[in-house]
Amino acid sequence: MGTASAGTGQTPTASTVNVKDEGRLRLVKSSGSQLIDEGPATGTIPGTARIVFVYDGNPTMSGQITIYGHGGDIQAHATGRLSSPTSASPSFKGTLTIAGGTGRYAHARGAGQLYGVFYRRSYAITVQTQGTLRY
Amino acid sequence: MATALAVAAGAWHATPASAHAGAHAAAGPRAALSAAFQPLRLGAATTISFAVRIDAAGEAAPTPISRVEVSYPSDLGLATSQLGLADCSPAALLLQGDEACPADSKMGQGTARVEVPFGPEVVSENVALGIFAAPSSDGYVHLAIVAEGKYPVIARIVLAGVLLVGRLRITIPPIATLPGAPYASLVSMRASLGGALTYYEDVHGRSVAYRPRGIGLPESCPRGGWRLGASFAFIDGLSSHATTVVACPRGGGVRQTPVSG
Repeated sequence: MGTASAGTGQTPTASTVNVKDEGRLRLVKSSGSQLIDEGPATGTIPGTARIVFVYDGNPTMSGQITIYGHGGDIQAHATGRLSSPTSASPSFKGTLTIAGGTGRYAHARGAGQLYGVFYRRSYAITVQTQGTLRY
Repeated sequence: MATALAVAAGAWHATPASAHAGAHAAAGPRAALSAAFQPLRLGAATTISFAVRIDAAGEAAPTPISRVEVSYPSDLGLATSQLGLADCSPAALLLQGDEACPADSKMGQGTARVEVPFGPEVVSENVALGIFAAPSSDGYVHLAIVAEGKYPVIARIVLAGVLLVGRLRITIPPIATLPGAPYASLVSMRASLGGALTYYEDVHGRSVAYRPRGIGLPESCPRGGWRLGASFAFIDGLSSHATTVVACPRGGGVRQTPVSG
């Protein structure tokens, strides 16, 4: 759940929110080492989440995450390190950087942590994000 | 390490389709590489096959190889394939062979041929290769490659491989033969990743067989095709290199940027 701390009085339109969201994503498309998954996101900013997941053999995966929320979209870039790459469902853990969006999140900035599981049989991805969002 | 004459049934007359073999030697023996993707369809899962060959100068066996490294475009979906959903202990593989490994750990197979000079003669042996996922302690996908020969020497060795970004590196230990005889030399190898593999999954308490998805091809092909390379390091310090190109499939999808490197 989010904790808003707007209101220093000087920047009435800016908000800082602690966010925690989870997405259970299914494969939409794949192209070589890139997978695109989408699915519902629940948590502080509910909506639909999409990740462009790139895993090319480097233990560090990268992902472009977009959450399509009610008031606009939030875009973030994430990197995380996979453990147990030859298991059926390797987990990954890393960081993410929020880098803008649309609508009310057009000027969004922030950072946080990323946790996830990559289900290699189904290509589903479960991803959890938590961090601080300023917008 | 078991005494071994290496193996290999490198059917060189059967150059994989849709690849244009090329070769050049750096300082070591002349080497050649060919490769194929089957099926060759953009965005689809495929089986990657490659074949390497080392040509000995004259009639002697070539100097033994210590490392083979096959390079490929990093946007091929090796790591995102379903190959290797379990791992196999290299020690168990050496001791018991393929049967020691879970079915879901098999990633591919192949053949190889090794040669060793016995006096004035060069004796060759064909070996079968099994490629398995191995445990990883560093986050990279590691492979255990078992090579088994039957004649003239019954032998089994396990090679270590690792999938780096855009590279498959295989380390080859010195392969002892008979006392006083030189090490065996790898002269050819054919291998495929993917293909007709059978994995098993639990569905409502039943074990159900399925074929794992192979290596995903990108949805576009670089102009000029996919370029692959193979470098060979020999125990005498020399090295060789060979390249090949897998042509783009007919019909669209060719990327409008030139291949680098």
